[in-house]
Formats: sequence, C-alpha cells, structure tokens
Amino acid sequence: MAATLVQSLTAVLDPTLLLVVAAAAVYGTVFGSIPGLSATMAVALIVPITYFLSPLAALAAVITLEACAISAGDIPSALVRIPGTPASAAYADDLYQLARQGQYERALGVAVMFSVVGGLFGVAVLMFFARPFARFATLFTVAEYFWFYVIGLGCAVVVSRGSALKGAFALLLGLLFSTVGLSPVHTQARFTFGRPELYQGINFIPAMIGLFGLSEILRAVSTPGANERMIAAPIAPARSGSFFARQVSGSFRDVFGGSLQILWRRPLQILQCSAIGTIIGILPGAGADIAAWVSFGYSKQRSKTPEEYGRGSLEGVADAGAANNAALAGAWIPALVFGIPGDSITAIVLGIMTMKNLTPGPEIFERQGVLVYGLYFVFILANLALLPAGWLAIRAGGQLIRVPRHTLVPIIVMFCVIGAYAIGGSYFDVALMLAMGLLGFALERAQVPVGPVVLGIILGGPLEERFVQGITASRGSITVFVSRPLAAVLGVVALVVWLLPAITALREKRTNA
Amino acid sequence: MRALASTPLRTLSVVLAVATLAATGCASQGRFPSAPILLVCPWAAGGGSDRVARLLATLLEQDLDVPVNVINVTGGDGVTGHSRGALARDDGYTMTLITVEIATLHWRQMTSVSYRDFAPIGLVNRDAAAVFVRSDAPWRTLRDLEQTIRASRGTLRASGTATAGIWHLALAGWLDAVGLAPADVTWVSIAGSAPSLQELMAGGLDIVVCSLAEARPLLNAGRVRSLGVMANERVPQFAAVPTLKEQGVDFSLGTIRALAVPRAVPSDRIRALADAVRRVVHSDSYRSSMATGGFTPAYEEPDELTRTLEQTDGRLGALLRSDAFERLAASQVGPMFFPRLLLAALAVVMIGLLLLSPSRDVGRGATPPEVSRWRFLEPLLWIGLYIAIAEQAGFLLTAGALLLAYLVRLGTRLRIAMPLTLVLVPVTYYVFAGLLRVPLPRGILGW
Repeated sequence: MAATLVQSLTAVLDPTLLLVVAAAAVYGTVFGSIPGLSATMAVALIVPITYFLSPLAALAAVITLEACAISAGDIPSALVRIPGTPASAAYADDLYQLARQGQYERALGVAVMFSVVGGLFGVAVLMFFARPFARFATLFTVAEYFWFYVIGLGCAVVVSRGSALKGAFALLLGLLFSTVGLSPVHTQARFTFGRPELYQGINFIPAMIGLFGLSEILRAVSTPGANERMIAAPIAPARSGSFFARQVSGSFRDVFGGSLQILWRRPLQILQCSAIGTIIGILPGAGADIAAWVSFGYSKQRSKTPEEYGRGSLEGVADAGAANNAALAGAWIPALVFGIPGDSITAIVLGIMTMKNLTPGPEIFERQGVLVYGLYFVFILANLALLPAGWLAIRAGGQLIRVPRHTLVPIIVMFCVIGAYAIGGSYFDVALMLAMGLLGFALERAQVPVGPVVLGIILGGPLEERFVQGITASRGSITVFVSRPLAAVLGVVALVVWLLPAITALREKRTNA
Repeated sequence: MRALASTPLRTLSVVLAVATLAATGCASQGRFPSAPILLVCPWAAGGGSDRVARLLATLLEQDLDVPVNVINVTGGDGVTGHSRGALARDDGYTMTLITVEIATLHWRQMTSVSYRDFAPIGLVNRDAAAVFVRSDAPWRTLRDLEQTIRASRGTLRASGTATAGIWHLALAGWLDAVGLAPADVTWVSIAGSAPSLQELMAGGLDIVVCSLAEARPLLNAGRVRSLGVMANERVPQFAAVPTLKEQGVDFSLGTIRALAVPRAVPSDRIRALADAVRRVVHSDSYRSSMATGGFTPAYEEPDELTRTLEQTDGRLGALLRSDAFERLAASQVGPMFFPRLLLAALAVVMIGLLLLSPSRDVGRGATPPEVSRWRFLEPLLWIGLYIAIAEQAGFLLTAGALLLAYLVRLGTRLRIAMPLTLVLVPVTYYVFAGLLRVPLPRGILGW
C-alpha cells in the first residue's frame, strides 16, 4: 500500500507529466472560455495526442482539461453573458449581473475557488467510496431516470427569477424545441418540414449562444450609449508596494479574497451542494450541466436571500460552481468500476483506456494500483491548477472590460457565429443561433427567463426517451414509473420540487395577510 | 458618419478584388492532397465509430502529410452525417466514415441518400453483433434463451440501439433464422450500446445485442455473459465466445465501417486516397491499435467494397421490409404523444399567464429608452450576410470584411478597426483551424 503510494507519487511528479498537466490546463482554459467549444470536444480533440503519452499522462491530460474547461466556462458568462459550456448556463445571469455591478473579479474568483472546493470533494468521494457508490449507477432504470429528469426540470422552474409560471413557460418552450427532428425512440421525423437539416434537431449549443449571448447584443445595440463599456469597471483598490505585490499577490487577493468568507460562513451548504454534484455525476444519464441546475435550485431554497438568485447571487455562483466540478470526478466512478461512462467525457476516457490496454472493472484498483492512485493525485493536482489558470484567465478576460461597446459588439457577434458553427460545421446552426437570439430578445422583453429554455432543449430528448422506453418495456403499463421502490421515492421528490413554487407563494400570502 | 463609412468600404472592396485576383492566379492545383482534409464522422465523440475515425485520421495525416480533422456530424440516427458527407464539395477534401446504417436509412425512408451517392475508398473495420445477458441470468447457451423466448412470447426485453438500428436487425435476423418472429422479444428503443448495457445491469432489460468491443469492460468484469457472436468464425480477442454457426444457426451480421467520398470526386483523387487508406489499414500501428480497442480490423478494395455495400443493402432491405418487422413499427406511444402533451401544458401555462400577470407586471416592464426601435435587426443582417457568402469566400475574407464594416458602422475609428481586423481575424482562424483543430469555412481559395 505505502509502496504503491510512493510509486504513484513519483509517477505523478515526473517532469513530462507535470508539463502535460500545465499544457492541458492552458488548453482547457482556452477551450472552456470560448463559447461553442465544449469540454467534450476539447477531450475528443486531444485523443490522437494521447496515443503518444503514457497511460497516466494521457488520463492526466483529460482530467486537467475537463476541470479547467468547465471552470473557465464561467468567464464568458461574466463578460458577455455567453456560457462557455452548458455547465455554466444555470448561473450565467448571476455572473453577468455581478460583473455589471462592478464585481467581475470577485464573482469569478468565487466561481473558480468553489470549483476547486467542489472538485476536491468529488475526488475525495472517488478515493474513498468509489466501489460502494458505483453501485448507484447500476440502480437506475429508465423509470428512475424519468423522475430524475423531472426533478432537474423542476429545479429550473424553482430558480427562475420572477414568476414561476413564466419559468414554466420557458421550460415548455425548450421541451417543445427538443421534439424537433428525428424522434430518438420512434426514429420518425417531427416538425422537420421536409428539410434534411432539421433531422438533427435543435442543438443546444448554438441555441444557448443565441438565447444568452446574441439576445444580449440585440438588447445592447438598441439602447443608447455606444461609447459605454459593456461591463462596469471593477472596483480596484489602490495598491502599493513592489511590482509583485501590486500585480500578483494583491490581485490574487482581489480575485479570491471574497471566496473564503463565503466558505467560512456556510461550510455545510457547500458540502451539501458538492455532494449533490458528485451523486449526479455518478449517474450515467446526467452530468455537470444538470448538477449545476439542481444545486442552484437547492441553494435558492435554502438561502436567506432567494430574491438575489438570477440577479447576482454570490452564494448561488459558489454552490452551483462547486456542484458542476464535483460532478466531473463523480462521472469517473462508474467508468472505473464498471466501464460505464458517467458522462460524454468519460465515454472518451474509456476509449483511451482500451487503446492503452487498461480494462476498467472492480479489480482495476488492485491490478492497476499505481495508476489508480496516480489518478487521485492528478485529480488533486488538476484542481489546484485551477487557481493559477483561473486567475490568469480572469485577469486576461478583464482586459475586455476596457474595450468600448462600439468595438466589442462586432467582435462578440463574430464569436457567436464561430461558436455556433464550430460544433458541427453547419450554417444551419448559425441560422439557428440567430433565430434563438431573436427569441431570447423577445422573451426577455416579456421578462421570461431564457435559462429554462436551454435546460428544456437539453433534457427534452432524454425525458421523452425514458418515458416511452418505460412504457414499451412494461408493454403499455404506466405503473412502471411507481412499481420500483426507488422510482416511487424519486417520484415523490419530483412532486415536492414541482409544488415548491406554489407552496412558497401560499406561505408568502399567509404572512402578508 | 455616413461619409466616413463609405470611404473605407470602397477601399476594402478594392483590396478584396485584388486579393481575389491574386489568390485565384496563384492557386495551382498540382499535388493532391495539398490542404487539410475533413473526415466526417456521423456518430458522437467517444463512441466506437468516433474512435476508429480518430485513429484513421492520425495515421492518414502521417501518410498524406496534410492535417486530417475529424468532425462529428451527429443526429438523425446517422442521417445528418451521411447526407453531409454525400453532398460535400466533390474535391476529395471531405471524406466520410460511412457505417452500415448507410444501407438501412433509405429503406426506412429517412433520407434518399444511399451507398450509391458515395464513391468507396476502402473498408476499414467489420464488427459482428453478439448477444449478451446478465451474468446472473439463467441462460447458458443461445438455445436456452431461444426456448425461453418461445415459451414466453414478448415478455423478454432487449435493446442495444434504437428501433430498426443494426443491432435490432441482428436480433430480428437471428429470431427469424430459428423460426421466431421479431415481435417475440420486446425491443426497447435505447440510443446506443452504453446506455443499453447500463439498463441491462439495472434490471430494465434481459438481453442486449451489440458488438463485443462495446461490451468488453463489462464482459471482462464478469458482469455480463455473451451467448454467441454473429460472425463466421470466433473473434480472436474473444476466443471464449462461440459463434452462432457453432450453435447450429446459420446467421451472421454486423456493422461495417468504411471510408468514402462524394460520387463525383475525380478518379485520380479517389485512387490517391484509396492507396493511402490501404497502406494505413495494413500498417502495424493500425492493426495493433484496433486490436487493443477490441475492434476487428478488415480491408476491402473500392471495387470489392462496392459489391459488399450492394449486398448488405439488399439483405438489410429485405429484413426491414418484411411484414413482421413493419408490424413492429407501431409502438404503444406514438411519436406525436409527447409534443401534444407539451402543447397542452403550454396552453395551460399561457392561460395562467394571461389570468395572473397583467395586474402585477404593468409598469415594471417599462422599456428603457431606445436608440431606434429596429436597431436590433442590424446584427441579424450581418450574420445573414455571413451565412450567405462564407462558404464561397471562406472565413478570412468574409469575417474580415464584415467585421471591419460593422466596426466602422458602429463608429469605431478606422485606424483602430483596420489593424484590429487584420490581427483578430487571421489569429482567430489560426487558433481554431490550426491550433484547436476546429475547421472554419475554407472557401474556394482554400482559406
């Protein structure tokens, strides 16, 4: 045991491996902070490079890459309100509003710091409870997944600012969009109007860029003040001392200083949200994006200031930011123990592992002890690498704050176009982004939140699939969704989540009266 | 402002005209390939086809000495990727990793694209279907399973892919070969082998049909058992798994993966690509990487491959159009059930909004002062222009011209806008197409 630990630690401290981690951190940060380029894509693109690396270095590259990409996805949310990855969509409005209130550095500092906290929590679960928790992944049949998605959707309604009814409207709109294209269960075309491009359906990445990013541009160009900055300047306290003290350590404190306060004030809450994130990560049908939504909803319910959520809540950013990074390590648990990918990234990881002749399975912990312990160390290393990488990216992104709006708008439009095109090389996606931009613009005029639309598009397909699969498997009987005890429990939870807005409204009415 | 805008635009058009002339004059078509090649993979990143595509891309890149970039064009059960590949520009710079679905999609009336729209380059892999059950299941042989199915028609549940996918056809073919009907096993339409295997473990399914490679981790972990593989002989990496033939059933079926280009690509270019593919597929690194991945490497020349595709197309077409299979298509919940449910819910919510909101939201929804009511249409116009010309003119020219024009239009001074455009656009192109390997429109000039 001790010998294995020492051996794996030496393997991790190998200069080549450290170099790989550093390069992956930079690459992941760049990829995550460019809207339209997802963490999954980043990992798929480095697969050819992993052929030339040792197994541990190859997996280290993936681990660092995904952690940095998911964490850096928050940066464009704060700057231009475009979530860099879908995992940031839940709290994109909060980051953007905080930045506009002059808290750009502080808000992103909180996001990065809690990504680290959540990430380390996930690693701890992976290290100590991988085998018992992996069973979790094999407990869920389509019936349990159906209820789980209903819970996820309910959270989007709970967190939507303003009226829950408007949140539900946005959600249903997103769910309807998800039915466009080839129905995955029936393999029949719906709402395609005979156009082959519509067969692939409405991809959520161009939709997200349009709904969040382009709609904000449309709003900006129709309000006066072309010379204004898009983002309010951060409040930078005067610093004195040496260059290092001014530029590095001082700034480090500006960025991350606020985070520790939040952590000390509510340590239990952070642990709970990290745990939610990890468990959702373990489930093969759900990943970092849903983890962020669910913990954001949970956080709002528990908060003393729920009205801030969606308008700039640091607590919400902290909780959801911790959850989406915790989900990443969670996804590795079923992948290592059963060879079942916990999300799309671990699906690629399994491919890399087979190419490296590593077979996942319960015995991997004994047979490949050095590698597995090495992975733990790499996970810790990758999460610590988030701090310097995040700090650099936040500082670099902060330069955009100085750019006047009349210069920034055309550039953002260009990146919206590239981001929509990059995912599948299709002009249809660019046109889709455009249409979604218009829709988002109109919805926000009517004070309807756009976040639930994105979640609806993401979860609509899986929700319908599980529903129809459940019915098919039971040959037409609806009882399949309550006959298993776990499904029944989740059904009750789903009901409570959906009734929450009504309960809160009733309680408010009573206290007001 | 207007005068300011017209001068740079005129200058720009002159610059563009000169650049176009210069570039067309220089673009000599000597060697093929001399530019990056795009490899379309119709399936998602991380799946079996994606892994094969990325391995091929790496090796072809070394052989052809140009970058080979994989792009995942997913959706529509393979329709999107296959039609994109078939309709791509016929200069040989867009290849497609076609899979066996090319022989089923047009029979299922999902697209008119078939293998006839492609010029084959070479077969690269062939993976047989195999039958899996949980390791605690009572069946030890395929015969046991067959008897249970015969006794309890329709109660066993199976999956591995969506309805009418290749693994479903494999199961139907086996059932047909032993005198049972496809409907004697309930096929649950689950997209992909990984979620199907997971459902098998959770107890939601009794049988999974997929390739041995896809089930390898669970097979090695002893969680699932394979009752038989639908190949002519045993697969070397899985020597313990018997074939159907050994168990007295003469039936074999599986997936094939091959490289192809659009029909109209010049024959000398097809030959150049086919030579490269032949070298790559016979290389040691390809064979060993495929073997460790659990895939069965295979090779067929373009002519031979054409015959294989023809044959597969006829065989799967016959299966798909059989009465037994067509009766399956009617499922318990129709395709319009879910959308109708959503529309009904949407109607309820909208009624709720109409009844509840006006009293509260009046006044709060006051719109901020506006520059012009129609200003928001302008970014849409620029994006529309980009969509219209980028494919012909390429990213650099289109994005450069539009970015510069829009910057100037919004009032950025030319001395800032010009250098900004000249730096930002090429750097962006380089970062995406070069560094990150995400292709941007190349245009007729090659950039």
